[in-house]
Amino acid sequence: MSFTKSPQVFSSKVTEIEIGTGSEAVRLGGENTLPLYSFDADTKNPPLVGIDFSDKGPDTDIPGVAAFFAGADTLGAVAKRASEAEGASFVCFSLNSADPNGDDEAVDVSVAKCKEVADAVTKPLVIQGSGNAEKDAELLGAVAEALSGKNVLLMSAVEDNYKGIAVGAVLAYGQKIAAESAVDINLAKQLNVMIGQQGVSSDSYVMHVGNAAAGYGFEYVASAMERIRGAGLSQNDDMLQAPILTPLAADAWSVKESIAPEEDFPEWGPAEERGINMEVSTAMACLASGSNAVILKHPESVKTVAALVGELV
Amino acid sequence: MSDKFVVIGERIHVISPEIKEALATRNAAPIIARGKAQLEAGADYLDVNIGPAERDGADIMRWIVPELQKALDGAPLVLDTVNRDALRAGLEVYDASKGRAIVNSADAGERLPNIDLAAEFGAIAIGLLIDKGVPRNNDERNEYLQVILEHSMEAGMDPSEDVWFDPLVLVVKGMQEKQEEFLEFLRILKEMGLKSTCGLSNASNGMPAHVRPVVDSVLCGMSIECGLTSAILNPLEKSLMDTIKTSEVILNRTLYADSYLDI
Repeated sequence: MSFTKSPQVFSSKVTEIEIGTGSEAVRLGGENTLPLYSFDADTKNPPLVGIDFSDKGPDTDIPGVAAFFAGADTLGAVAKRASEAEGASFVCFSLNSADPNGDDEAVDVSVAKCKEVADAVTKPLVIQGSGNAEKDAELLGAVAEALSGKNVLLMSAVEDNYKGIAVGAVLAYGQKIAAESAVDINLAKQLNVMIGQQGVSSDSYVMHVGNAAAGYGFEYVASAMERIRGAGLSQNDDMLQAPILTPLAADAWSVKESIAPEEDFPEWGPAEERGINMEVSTAMACLASGSNAVILKHPESVKTVAALVGELV
Repeated sequence: MSDKFVVIGERIHVISPEIKEALATRNAAPIIARGKAQLEAGADYLDVNIGPAERDGADIMRWIVPELQKALDGAPLVLDTVNRDALRAGLEVYDASKGRAIVNSADAGERLPNIDLAAEFGAIAIGLLIDKGVPRNNDERNEYLQVILEHSMEAGMDPSEDVWFDPLVLVVKGMQEKQEEFLEFLRILKEMGLKSTCGLSNASNGMPAHVRPVVDSVLCGMSIECGLTSAILNPLEKSLMDTIKTSEVILNRTLYADSYLDI
C-alpha cells in the first residue's frame, strides 16, 4: 500500500511582523504549521538568527568572538562587523551599561550609542534594554524616539512597564516591541492581552517567553513554547499568535559546560567549542519548540544555526 | 481538541416590537444596531428570526440578509423562519465568505425538506429533534435524530459537520424532571461525534427577571460540559458569556489569563 501524506496545517497562523526598513527588512511568523514542519506547508518566513553584542563591546573573553571583531574599535565599527556575520539576518544591540544596578549610564548616553549603531548598519535592529523594568520604561521610550522611522524592535515590555513602552515606543513612534514573560503561558497571554488593551496592534509585538540553556530547565521552556504555539494554531487563540523571539546567548554562555576551563576538565575539550555547541543546541531546541528567531553571540553559532535552518526549511 | 463554542445571538427576533416594526417598514438601522451590539458582545452568528412572514417572507429575507451582511462586514447569519420560500430567498443572496449560512430549522416532521434546502446551498441545517410535538423522552429524541440523520446523508451532507442537532430545551418551571434527560441527550450526541445547539433561554421562561440569567448560565455551563457545541442566546447577558468563557477555560479549550473575561 502506498503512503499518503496528510499535511498538518492549521486554519490559524502565526502573526507576521516586520522589523527594519528597505531591502534588508525581515519578517517573522506567518506560518500555519508546527515549528520547522516545512513538509506540511510553506513556512512563509523561515526562522531567523540575529547576532548580539553589548554596548560594553564584544566579549573578548571568547577568542573566536574577539578575533571576529578584531580591529573594530568604535561601536559603529563593531555594529557593522556584526551585521556582516554570515547567517545573521539582524543585529541585536544590548544596553548593558544602562543597568541601574551596574554602571547606570545616563539615558542620553545610551541613546547616542543606539544612534551610532543604527547609523552603521542597514540590517534590522533589535535593542535590548538594561533589564531593569523601571529604567527600561524611560530608556526604551527615548530610544524609540531617537530611532524613529527605523522600525526597530525594543526588548522588553514586561508586566511592570508595558504601559509606558506600549505607548512610548509603539503608539508614539511606530516601533515594534517584545512582550517578555518568564516561562509562564498564562502570564504570556495576560501580558499580550494587556498590551493589546493599550491599543497596540497584533503586528507590532513579538513574544519573548523566557529561556534557559539546554539541560538547565529547558524542558519548561520547550513546553511553554509548544503550548503557546498549540493555543495559537489549534485553538485559534489570537492572544497567543505573536511570533516568538528568543535571546539566548547569556544563558548558553553562562553554564558550566560553556565556561569551565579546559585545564579543569581536559576530557571535555576546548571551552569555546563547548560554548558554541551549547549555544547551537539551545538555539535549535528553541526553534524546534516554536521560536521564530533566536539571538546568539558567537559568529560560528550564528553561521551554524542559519545553515541548519536553511537545510531544514 | 474541541472547536470553539459557537454563540448565536438571538436578539434579531420578530417578537421584539422594535424589530417587527423595522421589518415591516424595511428600516434596516435598528436591526443592524442590534446585530452590531451582539457581535461586539461576542456573538459568532446572528439569528435573524422574521417569524412565519407568510405574505412577504421571501422579500424580507432578500432585503435584510444583504443589508446586515453589508453593514456588518459579512457577519454570518442564521436564517430563522418556518417559511421555506423565505429561507430559499435568504440563501440565494447570502454571502458565505465569513461563514456558512445556517438554516433554522429542519425537524423530523414537516420541515424535514429544509435539510435538502440547506444541502442545495451548502448551508448548515439545525436539526430540531421534534416531529409534531415536543419529544416526551430520549427515545423519541433518538427516533427523530435517526430520521434527520438518514435524510441528511441521503441529501449528501456530512451529518457530523453540516447538521447541528437541537434536542429542545424545555422550560424548567413546569418540566423540571425533564432537564436531566436533556443533558443526557447532549452526551449521546457528543459520543456520536455530532454537533448541537439549542435555544437556551427557553429553560427560564416564566421565571422572575433576576432568576433567569442564573438558570440560563448554569444550564449553559452544564450543557457545555455534556457536549453542547453552540447555543442561541442573548450575548448581551454578561453572566452567560462569562459562563461560556469560564467553561472553555475549565475544559482546557482556552488558555487562562487573568483578563480572560475581557477578551
